[in-house]
Amino acid sequence: MNSNRFARVAAFSFALIFAFAAPARLAGQDNKTPYPSMAPLDQYLIADRHAEISLARSAAPEAISHDATVLVLGRHGYETAVEGKNGFVCVVERGWMSPADAPQFWNPKIRGPVCFNPLAARSVLPTTYKRTEMVLAGRTKAEIIEGNKAAFERGELPQLEPGGMSYMMSKDAYLTDHDDHNLAHLMFYTPALDGSVWGADLPKSPVMLNPQFKGVQPIDVFVVPVGRWSDGTAAPVM
Amino acid sequence: MEKQTNSQRFAAVAVLVFAFNMVLEAGEVRSQAAKTKYPRMAPVEEYLMADRNAEIALARCAAPESISHDATVLVSGRHGYKTAVEGKNGFVCVVERSWILPYHDSEFWNPSVRLSLCQNSPAARSHLPLTFKTTELALAGMSKTQMFGSIKAAFDKKESPMPEHGSMCYMMSRQQNFGPKFGNADPDLMFWFPRPYHMAWGADMPDSPVDVHQYSPQPITESTISVAKWADGTVAGANQR
Repeated sequence: MNSNRFARVAAFSFALIFAFAAPARLAGQDNKTPYPSMAPLDQYLIADRHAEISLARSAAPEAISHDATVLVLGRHGYETAVEGKNGFVCVVERGWMSPADAPQFWNPKIRGPVCFNPLAARSVLPTTYKRTEMVLAGRTKAEIIEGNKAAFERGELPQLEPGGMSYMMSKDAYLTDHDDHNLAHLMFYTPALDGSVWGADLPKSPVMLNPQFKGVQPIDVFVVPVGRWSDGTAAPVM
Repeated sequence: MEKQTNSQRFAAVAVLVFAFNMVLEAGEVRSQAAKTKYPRMAPVEEYLMADRNAEIALARCAAPESISHDATVLVSGRHGYKTAVEGKNGFVCVVERSWILPYHDSEFWNPSVRLSLCQNSPAARSHLPLTFKTTELALAGMSKTQMFGSIKAAFDKKESPMPEHGSMCYMMSRQQNFGPKFGNADPDLMFWFPRPYHMAWGADMPDSPVDVHQYSPQPITESTISVAKWADGTVAGANQR
């Protein structure tokens, strides 16, 4: 029972993937995944700018996303499509924001709408910019992960601000090829902790530790599924 | 010159508005005190649980068994909380009583309130002492006003700790009781932060699963996240936001 739930949760690329492959193993793994390398860039882009804005905003309830800054992904990186005024920043992340060894790292279908609160927008979102910049420069997955790590070590990426969190409650997200492709949840960013401090990943616990930055940046991401989509309708209960 | 006049006018209006609000709030507190069914503390026995094992079980059901099984469990006696079970995973489970509610809450002295929490280790170190202190004051027979003053002084003098980073708790007991208005409410996770942080979690907005409480006099912000299931794994009911 619990293993079924775990398996379902684990399918969500932004939520849980348990295997922290060393860069040397990545190439081998890539041969086994349906997405071994980057697809043509066009497949990651959303042609309709307004659709991307709407998708980004759908990550959070309208009361939050209406006044948020909205970014869209172009051929040269993320650009501001809408200037906000409440400090939140909404963006549609792509597969390369998954953990290093996630099979969907290069999956061009992945659409992860996120609305970062102001603290996370300042201290977590820069990693999205950095990885995206390397992707668009044609780097390999191993180079991207190494580059992310090096950028943090060189102080080019900010330290995490306490209280950083984000909304991922879009009904239209595509986070995995598995099951319903989606999960309404909040994410909380903390300095690297032992996951057991929050009781994460234990049977019936609603808290899950996402290894998104494991081994790359000292940030833990705790995922808490919520029972509703951003539009207020009921989401499947895990 | 005109700017100065405007700012003086603004200051005067602000002072008047502030004073008016204070009068309104004071009146509201008096009015609530007059209306509440529980204007003062009931006999101590009514707040205690005669069956120690029942209190241990109630405390533990705040979190899934996978967490609470290895948690330290406290029970309340006539002089405060005592350790009933020594744990080994850093979590501490406890049944809080009504005096942990905000001072203006009409259930503040309701002896039937039972709030089960399992606090993680950062919270147990830095937030649980507030429960101990408040309980100690209540059991010593202090009035709400005296308790408020004592808690304020403890924080002002930095005798009471501020929440450590990562302080949170599980509050997922189906048996919890907030009083007649909210009953067992929702299963929640709660997070505590020092108030100076501007958390900006999008709390209390329509369709947001996040609520925020600014307590007073303690300079602490409490954010709660509604979750879909009780600690026993059953789906929460219609109360859920």
